[in-house]
Amino acid sequence: MNQPVLGAKFEIGFTRYLDAAGQLVRPLPKDADPTSLKALYRALVRTRVFDAKAIALQRTGRLGTYASSLGQEAVSVGAASAMRADDILVPSFREHGGQLWRGATLAELFQYWGGDERGNHFVNAPCDFPNCVPVGSQAPHAAGVALAVKLRNEPRAVVCIFGDGATSKGDVYEAMNFAGVWKLPVVFIISNNEWAISVPRRLQSAAQTLAQKAIAAGIPGEQVDGNDAIGVRSTVGAALDRARRGEGACVIEALTYRLGDHTTADDASRYRQDSEVTPHWKEDPIKRLHQYLSASGLWTNNEESALLKELNAEIDEAAEVYLATPLPDPSVMFDFTYAALPADLERQKRDMLHTLSPARERQAGE
Amino acid sequence: MAETTLIQAVNQALARAMAEDRRVIVLGEDVGADGGVFRATDSLFTRFGADRVRDTPMSEAAIVGLSIGLAAAGFRPVAEIQFTGFIYPAIDQIANHASRLRTRTRGHLQCPMVVRAPCGGGIHAPEHHSESPEAMFTNIPGLRVIIPSSPRRAYGLLLAAIRGSDPVVFMEPTKLYRGAREEMVDDGKELPVDRCFVLREGRDITLVAWGAMVPEALQCAAHCVSKGVSAEVIDVATLKPLDGETIVNSVKKTGRCVIVHEAALTGGYGGEIAARVARDAFGSLLAPIERVTGYDTVMPLPKLEHIYLPDAARIGSAVERAMAYA
Amino acid sequence: MSTFNLPDLGEGLQDAEIVAWHVGEGDHVVVDEPLVSVETEKAVVEVPSPRSGYIKRLLGKPHERVKVGAPIVEFDDATPVDTGAVVGHLAVSPEVFTGAAPKPAQKAISEIPPAMPKQISASPAVRALARQRGIDLSRIIGSGPNGMITRADVEHAGARTASGVSSLTGIRRTMAINMTKAHSEVVPATVWDQADVGSWWTGHDDVTIRLIRAVVAGCRAAPILNSWYDGRAMTIQTHDHIDVGIAVDFEDGLIVPVVRHVDEQEPAALRAEVNRLKTAARARSIAASDLRNPTVTLSNFGMLAGLHAALIVMPPQVAIVGAGRIFRLAVACDNGASFTSILPLSLTFDHRVVTGGEAGRFMRAMIGDLGKAA
Repeated sequence: MNQPVLGAKFEIGFTRYLDAAGQLVRPLPKDADPTSLKALYRALVRTRVFDAKAIALQRTGRLGTYASSLGQEAVSVGAASAMRADDILVPSFREHGGQLWRGATLAELFQYWGGDERGNHFVNAPCDFPNCVPVGSQAPHAAGVALAVKLRNEPRAVVCIFGDGATSKGDVYEAMNFAGVWKLPVVFIISNNEWAISVPRRLQSAAQTLAQKAIAAGIPGEQVDGNDAIGVRSTVGAALDRARRGEGACVIEALTYRLGDHTTADDASRYRQDSEVTPHWKEDPIKRLHQYLSASGLWTNNEESALLKELNAEIDEAAEVYLATPLPDPSVMFDFTYAALPADLERQKRDMLHTLSPARERQAGE
Repeated sequence: MAETTLIQAVNQALARAMAEDRRVIVLGEDVGADGGVFRATDSLFTRFGADRVRDTPMSEAAIVGLSIGLAAAGFRPVAEIQFTGFIYPAIDQIANHASRLRTRTRGHLQCPMVVRAPCGGGIHAPEHHSESPEAMFTNIPGLRVIIPSSPRRAYGLLLAAIRGSDPVVFMEPTKLYRGAREEMVDDGKELPVDRCFVLREGRDITLVAWGAMVPEALQCAAHCVSKGVSAEVIDVATLKPLDGETIVNSVKKTGRCVIVHEAALTGGYGGEIAARVARDAFGSLLAPIERVTGYDTVMPLPKLEHIYLPDAARIGSAVERAMAYA
Repeated sequence: MSTFNLPDLGEGLQDAEIVAWHVGEGDHVVVDEPLVSVETEKAVVEVPSPRSGYIKRLLGKPHERVKVGAPIVEFDDATPVDTGAVVGHLAVSPEVFTGAAPKPAQKAISEIPPAMPKQISASPAVRALARQRGIDLSRIIGSGPNGMITRADVEHAGARTASGVSSLTGIRRTMAINMTKAHSEVVPATVWDQADVGSWWTGHDDVTIRLIRAVVAGCRAAPILNSWYDGRAMTIQTHDHIDVGIAVDFEDGLIVPVVRHVDEQEPAALRAEVNRLKTAARARSIAASDLRNPTVTLSNFGMLAGLHAALIVMPPQVAIVGAGRIFRLAVACDNGASFTSILPLSLTFDHRVVTGGEAGRFMRAMIGDLGKAA
């Protein structure tokens, strides 16, 4: 018989450990011991408590527009938990959980969303990139950082996270293409929460999966249940190992759901039925891990209660610290524009300070 | 001393920068094996290898975006965009990221990156290959914009750009690649990137230009002598941040100013310089500030290119108009 | 607004302690979304939302105990306002600003060019040079483009060519321009008469104030002579106040300062104002605003010589009064003849809009007022 001649053929695999009901559907990975699982759980809950507080602060005019990660916590927490300290995270703007895992302080996160540039850098993760607002434009940065560690022969890798909408951007494909042809140690994670503001996944791309966009760049692509923190950690961990071994880049599409609005200035009920959202609460990453841990006798009510209280107290206190932080000195607008302040800009800075008050201008000149 | 063209000067500067600092990486389309379509990166591939001289896929946005990541992670990338006409896809990366990385992280991350591209017309090129988009970049805070006009200045300014810590858009006038030649030494000496260059001193009028317009201004100044007009010629070179003081001091001396650029008139960088001169040399002005520029039309194809491009004669007419204010 | 009560937690439990809220006031929630975690003796329980909607109020704080069946959440039934944004906050302006400026109350038809040239075209450097050299830029004709005064012009200021021909500058130049313009527009007619001022003229008085008073009387008798006429639009604007231009002659030429609202001022105030203007004019420090827009003009040319004259009406005005040299005349009276002092009067008016009759009435009123002893 005539066999079809194939130019190429590909498969997109799917991984899941824990289902929505909190049942294991395959044996746990080796590194998933009780301590690490409880750490994952704690990080997920901490992310969500922070998220609720951020929304509450925004509603009362004490935080700027905020992008909630409600329902998607397992993607960035899972990914971050698979990274080493000296790996580099290049996020979009919904990876708060991952940033917190990697040592970003609550103050830094409140400052970013509160509109203070001091939140654009993490003391405990100095090489990580700040949030990236122009969708997908961070993907080439991640490839560049990966090239840097490769040129220096460092056993480090880069994790780049962006959403389903971002996969339609040219920058994202271009970065994957570079990563493929130059075999760069970067893991591209598509946090597919099914919505790009009001545009649903089916209107974003005709591709059957988003992971398969990797194939066009010549790198492997796979899917994982993005609400299964264990699955995400395991899949990303394996990808990072391959990257460090010099096997290059890959794409992991983490399937999740955006349970909240796009941002606090968005009202999703304008374009999405509440009845569509309700079933996805059953897939909640926190609920399923909680279910698994309780059912396995690894997590008690007392621990749950204590955890909630502790985290709420921690985040409330961090919010108070943020709210009490004085405004930055307006001089910083000028001082960091260039490596050294040009004469031209120095004049403008003086003029600016003068309009604020002549006394401050004199002070600046000293 | 050897006679060096501008493109050779660029090549020498790149080679020297790469030799003295292992962090310098050159990347772009055709920069490796081919040595660059204008030979700017000639021999670098052989000398420094494929790791550091990298032929990229055709992706201007990613070439610059990747360079930003490289720079933030400690390297000093020098990205080549083949023509300024193709730089537009990379403007997002330049405006939204490169130019503001330092300030938005309060100095914790920085972007010591140079993006080089040939600019300007006068080479009888097909469409889109004769662009002068420098004004777009001068309006981006945090960016340095440099346009050399001679081999020595291309060499010195490029070295300074690579050694510096700010993101730089370095536009090289294609017409001068082989059109400009001078004796110079590959001595590793950089030139200041915060200063205009007074190329010729004069008393009656100040001609301000950059890029391929500098030789035209110098030629005009030479002709002016026979008309009894002594013209001072300033090469701006670093458009941003602007050394307004040198230009203003000159106009305070002469009282008259003609600004020359290839780019279209409206929104062109000449307007910025004119505003500064009007503000800071107001009391010295004898005549209105003149601008001699490309027209507010698309750069024409080679048949009409010579009509569009300012030249010494058009600059001379502007000088006459200004000198009428005796 | 509807409330949601703490549901039955089962196992006979009566109340629970709020551990943590998962939503905030203003949040949009859907069915099954966890609202709050509460702790009983047995477990920490997540309470899901029974409905979709917006949270209006949370009715309890963490660590507080809530009874089963007690309200814990208030839902908001009002339709939320569409903020129309996805980032940031769009403020709603309380009023509509169209940017239109209020209409001006009254507009002058046209402005008379004041005797002083009001605009000198010279660059700051040239002005500075002129100031430095004490050169009056108003006396210089600019040789630069568009008539701009150049540095060379200043440096050559005052020089005459060999033939002794010089250009008109300054106020003489302005006068030439204005008179030419008047000639081309106005249709003048003149009536001459005289007033008997013997009852008060002592031979030395400055008659200016009495003349101003007479002009006021004339305007009251024939208001149309206190008007502005726009010949192009053919509109006439008769004023309710009288601003008299007083022609002042001095060595550099003629200027006409304006005394405002003469009909409302006492003689002493008028005297003071006239003196102020004359002093300023002679010192060449008169303000442009003092030279603008007279409604009628008075020329006391008789201080030098001349009895009657057909003067020039300066548009948009329609009248100019001339006072000639006061002379002694023998007049008939009841018992023969006696001498008295006569002030000759000339009234030139724009016959496009003023009739002979109106001019006559104006003149009669002036004569009547000037004849009064006080």
